[in-house]
Amino acid sequence: MAWPLLILVATPLLVGLACLLVRGRRLIEVLQCCQAGTMLVSAALLVDWVVGQQEASVDALLRADALSAWFDLILGIVGATGTLFAVGYLGEEYDRQHVTPRRHRLFFAQFDLYLAAMLLAVNVENVAIMWIAIEGSTLSAAMLIGFERSKAALEAGWKFVILNSVGIALALFGTILVYYSSEHLLGVTSEALRWSELYRVADGLDQTAIKLAFVFVLIGYGTKAGLVPMHTWLPDAHAEAPTPVSAMLSANMLTLAVYAILRFKAVADRTVGPAFTGKLVVGLGLLSVAVAAIFFLVQRDYKRLFAYSSIEHIGIALLGFGVGGIGVFGGAWHLLNHALAKSAAFYGAGLVLLRHEHKLVERVSGLLRSMPLAGAAILLSGVALAGMPPFGLFASEVLIAVGAFTARPDVAYAFLALLALAFATLLYQVFRMALGEPVEPGRALGWPCRLFTATAVGVNLAVLGLIGLQVPSGFNTLLSAIVRIFGPGMGSP
Amino acid sequence: MLSHFGAQIVDLGSALLLLTCFAIVAQRRLSACVDLFALQSVFLAATAALVAFLTGIHHIYIAAALTIIIKVLVIPRILKKVIERLNVTRELVMNVNVPTGLLICGGLAMLAFFITQPLIPLGFQLTQGSLGIALAIVLIGFFTMIARKKAVTQVIGFLVMENGLFLGATASAYGMPLIVELGVFFDVLVGMLIVGIYAHRLQDAFDSVDTSQLTTLKE
Repeated sequence: MAWPLLILVATPLLVGLACLLVRGRRLIEVLQCCQAGTMLVSAALLVDWVVGQQEASVDALLRADALSAWFDLILGIVGATGTLFAVGYLGEEYDRQHVTPRRHRLFFAQFDLYLAAMLLAVNVENVAIMWIAIEGSTLSAAMLIGFERSKAALEAGWKFVILNSVGIALALFGTILVYYSSEHLLGVTSEALRWSELYRVADGLDQTAIKLAFVFVLIGYGTKAGLVPMHTWLPDAHAEAPTPVSAMLSANMLTLAVYAILRFKAVADRTVGPAFTGKLVVGLGLLSVAVAAIFFLVQRDYKRLFAYSSIEHIGIALLGFGVGGIGVFGGAWHLLNHALAKSAAFYGAGLVLLRHEHKLVERVSGLLRSMPLAGAAILLSGVALAGMPPFGLFASEVLIAVGAFTARPDVAYAFLALLALAFATLLYQVFRMALGEPVEPGRALGWPCRLFTATAVGVNLAVLGLIGLQVPSGFNTLLSAIVRIFGPGMGSP
Repeated sequence: MLSHFGAQIVDLGSALLLLTCFAIVAQRRLSACVDLFALQSVFLAATAALVAFLTGIHHIYIAAALTIIIKVLVIPRILKKVIERLNVTRELVMNVNVPTGLLICGGLAMLAFFITQPLIPLGFQLTQGSLGIALAIVLIGFFTMIARKKAVTQVIGFLVMENGLFLGATASAYGMPLIVELGVFFDVLVGMLIVGIYAHRLQDAFDSVDTSQLTTLKE
């Protein structure tokens, strides 16, 4: 019985339900802080456990191998700092009387259930229960995106719920097809839906069924991951959701969708070989990077800007997994660093939005002078997201480029050209915001909001900086184990 | 002999499901669309119960009963309430007109059979024909969501997709494990409640549930 795993999944669920029952703002805030601490510690302990013993499990329901533990680490750290930021952000809205006590309570209940659904999805052993948990996270996210009830928020929420429901339905068809072919080998039982059993018998599964299933899963979960051309919901949802939710959508939910695609890819690679899945994944990844790099330039809304940056980075990570080998190492490393940097960028953007109450890039210049905390968060994470050393995103992009070069040199050239374009266009926008003279005075922010945001940004950037300088040995063990799950990749015959 | 006859009955049930899909595509009145969806769910439950009877897998009965409760009774009632409150009865303007829509759906059904052709020998003797029909229903549901503009019909499109998936799981794979089916039903129900909440708020904010008015957010 792996306690850290159980505690990690159960904490947000229990705290979320508790938020529905308790009264009083302070009590809810204390509960949320406890949740953040517990998630951080249990994610660290879980990683330690998996590094030592290869896997952690709770009965037959939950099982975390290296891949799950890696995503637990991402969701754990970012979920914890996101919770802290949400306490500060919603507290400020509460003080300004933009939210009533009831909606304050409801927000945290939905927020925690959203985190719980994502953590369950990453650790659950049953393919179909993973689908249920992911659908659960979609539904809770739908409520959170429409939280502010403005016309734009409702439109974004409706678009999100409709597009993602279609996506998730297609993913379920893919799941059913996998079951359809596995039950001939494993019998009409839940065994035929366990990941470990599927990996064991993957060689014998029907090739056509698995190919078709992978295409459905890639389109379905790809919609949730915001891959181009299924990305149209993403910038709207990220821009209109309350900022803590935007940070969680970008850093956690897109990452979770990538996890789901990767699990199926590992099965399909064993059944039909990595060339088939690799081509599809690399194609969509490259397209996402290209579209995002171009759309950076026309963005006038800074939350949309960071949303497009998420499309770019998810595309880069998938490209790494698609080419395989060293690219898998790079892709997994990229996801962690992207989640840390992107959530820090959104935390900074949240402060700017609270101060200026609009989202226009050209009217928030000079952030470093007017708001040193938010300015520094946006500048540092913007530099990291553009892929500058010493941050880990530089290392992962190099690794992915090397992986691509061994597998498909033409892909590597296109990838590097697009990276250069994205580098220039993103930094142009970030510099416009961070540097220069302030033009608008803006509203003052309360100290609790600044304190909570400073803690969240501080933890994210500290971890980002430390792992950028040196990869901890435990991480290295996990990443090597993940590379082994995916095998040699497209490059090898 | 019984299983051969059974297979034909199951195929008939699946075909009736597909037929109601076409009826939904051709129907402009919103409340009639809801009724057709409820009828389709009745066919679905009957087909599932038949599969349960012929195979002796008992938990499919539970899934069939849940289909009756949730998709025949509860969800149509929620949708009717939404329609009543929103004061819309007919859909006059569509993205694709009815005859073209029906032709496209015919094409989609052929496409579905073409795609699933290589998988059919893999299926169980009893329900070999159902996988293609299930995919056809999923695709037609998807098409309905694109072709219609009203929020309610888009939701019906999604529910039709869900019925197709359920047919795929029950008829061609003899049902997912019970815990999975319960989870899927729970998600569909919660999803419907959320969509209902959204429809109300959209009505308050825009004075309309015509999703073609949702155009503030674009590049």
